[in-house]
Amino acid sequence: MEMEQTVTYLVLIPLMPLVGALVIGLLHMFTCTTRPLSERLYGILGVTGPVIATILAVKTFFELKGMPEEGRYFSQKVFTWFNVGELDVAMGFLADPLSVLMLLFVTFIGTLIHFYSIGYMAGDENFGKFFAYLNLFLGSMLILVLADGPVVMFVGWEGVGLCSYLLISFYSKERDNVLAGNKAFIVNRIGDLGFILGMSLLFWAIGSGGFDYLSLRENASALAPGMGLAICLLLFVGATGKSAQIPLYVWLPDAMAGPTPVSALIHAATMVTAGVYMVARFSFLYVQAPLAGAVVAWVGILTALLAAIFGMFQKDIKKVLAYSTVSQLGYMFAGVGVAAYSAGIFHVFTHAFFKALLFLGAGSVICALHHQQDIWKMGGLKAKMPTTYWTMLIGCLALAGCPLLSGFFSKDEILYMALANGYPGVWLVGVLVAAMTAYYTFRMFFLVFHGSARDEEAYAHAKESPKVMTVPLVILAIGAVFAGYLNLPAIFGGHQQVTHWLAGSLVEHHPHASLGLELLAIAASIAAFAIGAFIAYRKFGQGAEEPEFQGFAKFAYNLFYVDQFYHAVIVRPYKAFGAAIQRTLEPYVTDGHVKLSSLLYQLIGQAFKVFQVGYVRIYAIYMVIGLSLMSLFLSQTLN
Amino acid sequence: MTDLLLLLPVLIITSGAILLMLLAAFENVRDEIACFGAMVIFLFGFCMQLFGLGQGDARIFSGVFNEMLVGNSFTAVAGLIITACGFFTCLSSHTYFKQNRFITSEYYALTAFAASGMMLLTMAQELITAFISLEIMSLAIYVLVGMHRRNIKATEAVLKYLMLGAFAGGFFAMGSALMYGGTGSTKFAEIAGFISANGFFASSILVVGAFFILVALLFKIAAFPFHAWVVDVYDGAAMPVTGFMATALKTAVFAVFANFLILDGGLQASWVEYLFYIAVFTMFGGNLIAIGQNSLKRMLAASGIVHSGYLLIALVAFTSRDFTANVIVFYLAAYAVATMGMFAALSYLSGEDEQRITFDDFRGLAKVRPFSAAAISIFLLSMAGIPPTVGFMGKFYIIVNAINAGQVLLAVLAIVSSVISMWYYLRLIITMYFHEARDDFAVAKSPLAQATTFFLVFCVFALSLLPVSV
Repeated sequence: MEMEQTVTYLVLIPLMPLVGALVIGLLHMFTCTTRPLSERLYGILGVTGPVIATILAVKTFFELKGMPEEGRYFSQKVFTWFNVGELDVAMGFLADPLSVLMLLFVTFIGTLIHFYSIGYMAGDENFGKFFAYLNLFLGSMLILVLADGPVVMFVGWEGVGLCSYLLISFYSKERDNVLAGNKAFIVNRIGDLGFILGMSLLFWAIGSGGFDYLSLRENASALAPGMGLAICLLLFVGATGKSAQIPLYVWLPDAMAGPTPVSALIHAATMVTAGVYMVARFSFLYVQAPLAGAVVAWVGILTALLAAIFGMFQKDIKKVLAYSTVSQLGYMFAGVGVAAYSAGIFHVFTHAFFKALLFLGAGSVICALHHQQDIWKMGGLKAKMPTTYWTMLIGCLALAGCPLLSGFFSKDEILYMALANGYPGVWLVGVLVAAMTAYYTFRMFFLVFHGSARDEEAYAHAKESPKVMTVPLVILAIGAVFAGYLNLPAIFGGHQQVTHWLAGSLVEHHPHASLGLELLAIAASIAAFAIGAFIAYRKFGQGAEEPEFQGFAKFAYNLFYVDQFYHAVIVRPYKAFGAAIQRTLEPYVTDGHVKLSSLLYQLIGQAFKVFQVGYVRIYAIYMVIGLSLMSLFLSQTLN
Repeated sequence: MTDLLLLLPVLIITSGAILLMLLAAFENVRDEIACFGAMVIFLFGFCMQLFGLGQGDARIFSGVFNEMLVGNSFTAVAGLIITACGFFTCLSSHTYFKQNRFITSEYYALTAFAASGMMLLTMAQELITAFISLEIMSLAIYVLVGMHRRNIKATEAVLKYLMLGAFAGGFFAMGSALMYGGTGSTKFAEIAGFISANGFFASSILVVGAFFILVALLFKIAAFPFHAWVVDVYDGAAMPVTGFMATALKTAVFAVFANFLILDGGLQASWVEYLFYIAVFTMFGGNLIAIGQNSLKRMLAASGIVHSGYLLIALVAFTSRDFTANVIVFYLAAYAVATMGMFAALSYLSGEDEQRITFDDFRGLAKVRPFSAAAISIFLLSMAGIPPTVGFMGKFYIIVNAINAGQVLLAVLAIVSSVISMWYYLRLIITMYFHEARDDFAVAKSPLAQATTFFLVFCVFALSLLPVSV
């Protein structure tokens, strides 16, 4: 039975924020210097697009839910984008269980962040510009998620890259912020190159039968093993850039330079989840290349470890959260790497709630303390900011993997799957990282909210944030508690709805492991949380003084000097190479030719100018000469 | 009745033109009213044309009016380009004539008359019809070029254009007569039938006739060596008129050229060899002329020659009827958008009596009017064929078409030519951005030309997303 599977409203979901971006951008551009418009107007315009997109996303979800499980998808071809040789690319959108799950939380959390930004950005001179960028960011992410093939996905992929650059360097008066934006952009470009190469190989190998996911999935079995591996690894290079994995994770902590809502958007709803989504999207390729999966899993879990180590020693509240994101992303990659795609995506989903919550909570704290971000200058804020305190507590518990909260279920699922699918090493590191996560999360939490105030003056002025900021916090906190129950495994009496929901989009095998193994995984996760949180409480629960870092701690605080290493090994030689070319090749080899050709241009131009004498008779003679030459030619042919 | 449906856009424009001409007889009808009237007429014509195109294949007319006209998607899109150009010309003119006060109300009527001739020309399926349409168009354009009677340059331009145009018109009339003598018909379809039955060289009268018509058409599109007039004429005409000539007129003539040569006339095979050389010389000749120009108008005129060269490539490299027709019409649209945009921008930036016209006059424009400078840069980049503009896609299709037809050499030469053309396009961008401003670039109060410019910037990107099916 053929069902009607084309719809006309999918395009509206990304289009709404994009139109918003255009309208706000134009309004801002034409009025910012002469008569700035009110923030209220920009705020209303800014949230309109995301709200409509959210409503449409919910509508899509319910319509999809009403369809039979097999063949559960909608598609829409808006127009043929280009059609060259075998490459026929339509601007097409696809809503299947995977993209709709992403869609739901991207639009929902994105919308909340938009609302929150109205409060956070109040009084900024570029308020309008901020909302234009924010809308553009969301629109690009929605294109990425809803794309029906790799090419359209790449449009969104590049779109979020651009927007992250624009938003990270949003406070562009400070040089450091601009450099952070540059860094994010350049590092992402390196990853993008991998994506493009992977995409090109994919087209070369099996693209002739149609270059959208559905066709590719059908033709995937025709892929040679070596080629499959190469494609998967190249695509993963793209993912390491966008999702901040080793070795390209360096941009994400610096991305903190942007306004806090942007950090929340980058870390929770958009951008960094793109890499995980992409790997899950191509699950039909990755299942065929187990080696690529192993690489993904190990890179992921090692990133998780590395970032957790860094996270334990940071003193900037946003840096702690940034490294926690890198670390959690590592878990997600470990999940998709061990072929537990639904577990990976589920962690993306729960993480979106509690990470958005934590960032917005941190933003609330930062706002209250007049842009103080050093956790060693905070303390005792529990009394002053009750809403922020309680919501942050929920976020921290979820992040640390406290049982019964969302983060626990999704993280546990990944670790259990690693064990069940034969990656005990990944599991072991994962458990270790879980303990470290609990430690650094509560270290931050206790330093910020408990103990006594370290900076009396800032503390005296601190007060709870306005409703427009705290209401999103409460909503996200509810999500952070309950999101995990959507995919409750059988052992807790659940039905794994998310995994079942995603089954249509993913190629995934569910192992039948023993109950003992599952219990072991759960016990280890709970133990890791308890140990980590307990140590944090012992060290920081009653207030603590800023320590002087020595030895390993200093090394970790300085991020293992990775940035310096990259700078010395890649950036400096690259610049030196450029300079050498500038000194030698340019003046002696190329410049001469260029200048000569420029001279030649002018001479010929002057010469031909002479022919434009301006006399009609001469022009008529040209015509006659041309005519005669053509006639001569004609008579040659005739004979 | 359906025959009239085909003609509806032409009828609207023509009756509008007559109405405007009648209105112009009244003393108290102000130029503003004529201008807005013309805008309405063009917009209405455009919408009707678009409506017709939206009906798809159900609206193909073949053999209407005793096989004198044809209506299909090719002619419809050409009609769209022409009416759109007419509309934007009116907008630019409104601003332009705020600072150059030599307008009379008949100006807009003549624009509409020219447009109606052009639209008929795109649909012509028969030599006499083509000739009449050509003359309707040309006569109106002659007057428009010489509108500024007290200006010596304009007078000179119209004289040159008229004389050389008459020369070319003579060729066309003579060619038609000879064609009729050779084949016994003036209808494209019957000429094609005759050629496919007897071969092109069977009748020497036919050969000479076809040859003469070729010359006339090459003159109108300013192909080498019949190009010399174009620089002087474009230079002498008022800015919006130049824009109108560069876009709408070229579209119309190319449409009839394509119809006559390949789509309906079946003459392509016999002319490929000449057209090959003409295309090459047109591209490079145009480039070399453009390099030496100091006036923007003259540079744009010369660059128009180059673009004619690219379009000739599409005529030489004939693949399939549909694809080649699509490629041509897409390129025409791409070129029209960028050129119209340039002339709209120049219409308000050139100021009183076109005082700012050379490259040097636009020094530092980006410092004073950053949006205008950005718009001009986008148009220039589109003309140069830089992605993601529509100009790039147009060139891309031309080159794909050439390669598909086996004309790889032409494709390579087209790319070389577009590299050369960077010289004069980038020169203006550099002038605008990397020099200090010496001028305040005061412009007229009417915002219509500016609006046109920015709308066309949007079109440069929007049209590039339109696909052309191979």
